[in-house]
Amino acid sequence: MSNCPYHDPFKSAREQKPVLATEFDGDPVAMILGFKEVRKAARDYTTFSSDAPFRVPIPREEDVRSMRQYPIEVDPPAHTEYRKIVEPFFRQPTQPEYIERMENLLEELILDALERDSIEIVREFAIPLQSRALTYLLNVPESEADLWTTWGTHVFRDESGKSKGAEMETYTNSLFDRAEANPGDDFFSALVQARYQGRPLTREEMQGCANLAFAGGRDTIINTVSTVMAYIAEHPEALDALRENPKLVMTATEELIRYTSPVTHLGRMCPMDTDVHGVKVDAGKLISLNWASANFDPTMFEEPETVRLDRKPNPHIAFGNGAHNCLGAPHARLIVRTLLKKLCQHTNGMTLLSAQRKVEKEADYERANAYHELKVQLISK
Amino acid sequence: MPTKITFITQDGSKVVVEDAIGTLMEVATEHDVEGIDGDCGGVCSCSTCHVKVKREWLDKVGVADEIEQDMLDLEDETDERSRLCCQIEVVEEFDGLIVEVAPLS
Ligand code: HEM
Ligand code: FES
Repeated sequence: MSNCPYHDPFKSAREQKPVLATEFDGDPVAMILGFKEVRKAARDYTTFSSDAPFRVPIPREEDVRSMRQYPIEVDPPAHTEYRKIVEPFFRQPTQPEYIERMENLLEELILDALERDSIEIVREFAIPLQSRALTYLLNVPESEADLWTTWGTHVFRDESGKSKGAEMETYTNSLFDRAEANPGDDFFSALVQARYQGRPLTREEMQGCANLAFAGGRDTIINTVSTVMAYIAEHPEALDALRENPKLVMTATEELIRYTSPVTHLGRMCPMDTDVHGVKVDAGKLISLNWASANFDPTMFEEPETVRLDRKPNPHIAFGNGAHNCLGAPHARLIVRTLLKKLCQHTNGMTLLSAQRKVEKEADYERANAYHELKVQLISK
Repeated sequence: MPTKITFITQDGSKVVVEDAIGTLMEVATEHDVEGIDGDCGGVCSCSTCHVKVKREWLDKVGVADEIEQDMLDLEDETDERSRLCCQIEVVEEFDGLIVEVAPLS
């Protein structure tokens, strides 16, 4: 059995300095690597601003969308008001009916997978799961997911990296037209009816909220699900431990999300010339908050490359930290918890048939992040 | 015997729960106490359940253990009254307890 220890590509850089001077899109980026340093910078929006449309994601996204994303690409105090508008939808995953729907969904997907000789987890499991679960969050009919399921792992880019952002904007624009004509109690109708500083949202602001709800919740969930499945395939004893102690599901979820850290890093713009732990950043240039590196910092996580399902405390920052911490976190956590629970209930794990890892190849590092393709056979109980 | 707990939120309003059971975080989230999210479900991972215990209750409620303290050490706005309330199991002796929701840092 392959043990496939996670390889932390930032280890040696982080051991030397908490920040790595690197580059993206032909521009310098001061990438912060240390846990304490990332966490602190994430909370300091005056020095490290999110008021930088298209540049919070790295590489930058002008080529795949035409509008600023809300609330991620604005600073407080404006951020606080935009975030409040959408927050009620993101809080739903703690409601009993929502939890039950998620349980039914995972039960159906796992029972279906058990019927097959093999299943390709990314396309045949994670994408349908992500798409159908998102209909619960946005409060739209589950049939809407039929279309979303046809999209790739990234909503904006096809497998070759080409932009298909315009299609996505046309689609969300049509959802707002529909909501304006006939408002219901879905996410899009709420935005149509929302007020910001006493005025309705502009269509561009609505589009920016919708765009983030689709993009922020897509590859993150898909990559987490495939990584968790691969972990279980390679560690059949994990399900036994979880069955023996069902409470372990909660800590295991946090640990598997730390281990996956599906968002490697995100950008911030320095409004002023700034010294970032010895690296000079000119006004207008970027730093990055490397969540993945922070989550493997041994000063905070003992044996960071080992998955400890009972790790506690586990102050990982896979969901970010500070004002922008992930709104989708309750939904994401529920998906992982329910996945583990249902795998325990219905399977004896799975056999890994083939795996093709996805690798982020950048100027100064290569990071394996989830899978292009992961074929397994589920084992019934 | 029912156990009464009062949460005071950031805007100064009170949420009074007459028959609290479970952890303080569970009680708070079940009653929609503003500022207590309990995102990680109570396993010392998210710090979205930070409260300050009224001084006169400190002895009864007790202090954070090492794991909880490690999490609190990362927060900015902590003091000796700070607790992560997912780590506080409600018991009868807490009848009348008052806690303040800490500012989101
Ligand atoms: C394991 C899954 C996920 C991970 C690791 C993740 C990670 C993150 C991170 C690191 C941030 C911080 C952004 C920043 O500081 O600039 C963030 C913000 C955000 N995420 Fe997630 N995310 C996940 C799932 C989701 C899902 C499922 C959704 C929605 C469907 C979502 C929607 C958002 C939104 C709206 C924000 C912006 C919050 C704000 O600016 O106030 N995320 N996420
Ligand atoms: S609920 Fe997450 S630390 Fe208390």
